Amino acid sequence: MAKVPRNFRLLEELEKGEKGQGSDACSLGLADGNDIMMSDWNGTILGPPHSVHENRIYSLKLKCGENYPDAPPSVQFISRINLPCVDQTNGFVDPTKLSCLSGWKREFTMETVLLELRRSMASPANKKLPQPPEGTTF
Amino acid sequence: MALPKRIIKETERLVAEPVPGIQAVPHEDNLRYFDVSIHGPTQSPYEGGVFKLELFLPEDYPMTPPKIRFLTKIYHPNIDRLGRICLDVLKANWSPALQIRTILLSIQALLGAPNPDDPLANDVAQRWKEDEPGAIATAREWTQTYATS
Repeated sequence: MAKVPRNFRLLEELEKGEKGQGSDACSLGLADGNDIMMSDWNGTILGPPHSVHENRIYSLKLKCGENYPDAPPSVQFISRINLPCVDQTNGFVDPTKLSCLSGWKREFTMETVLLELRRSMASPANKKLPQPPEGTTF
Repeated sequence: MALPKRIIKETERLVAEPVPGIQAVPHEDNLRYFDVSIHGPTQSPYEGGVFKLELFLPEDYPMTPPKIRFLTKIYHPNIDRLGRICLDVLKANWSPALQIRTILLSIQALLGAPNPDDPLANDVAQRWKEDEPGAIATAREWTQTYATS
């Protein structure tokens, strides 16, 4: 298979979002529309139903380094959230505690990460965890 | 990973008989991925500039067109802020009979003949229609600022 280079991969991910072909449960966009390297992204996750997160919208920052997608993005919640994989001091997602990051594969995308975070929010172990007030940020 | 003969032939010819003002060099670790540079055409606002682009031949090339974008910032109505290019032969009018070489020539021609009626960068196209001398002056300034080393 042809190996899609970083920048063209990121353009694909951007265009998927622009055309509305992504998941309804999350969204992604460039933080700076002039950034030719497309490194910094804003993401949102719609809180999963039947959990404490229902009807909440969580904002995140993602950063794709030079080696993306051979290396995973770094992911940081802006909205406060109580989740075992999220550092409670700064909102960073601990890559060792989220399987798609610890076992990253080149075919994974930023959407893969957002959707796995959402699944983690809805998991039986986490869906009733007490949460900080809605709208607070790290 | 075997590279299709068609790509090998095109690459060899690009190196052996380069197009004047255009360079395309494949990455050693990915022979479908090219570093491209295009000289701005004479008598265009891009004259004197050397523009860097990147080009990728997808798995099903030449059934689908190459993917290509500018890495150098450029003020042009058919090129957006991320360097994406609006050009018919890269989309609906692509044909497998076209080549990397013909696409790069089309892009060089697009620099010489901006088309504000089929814009990708709407703000630039608008200005191109309302104040062409002003738009051309900006294109010249950007060429000086971003495309000369």
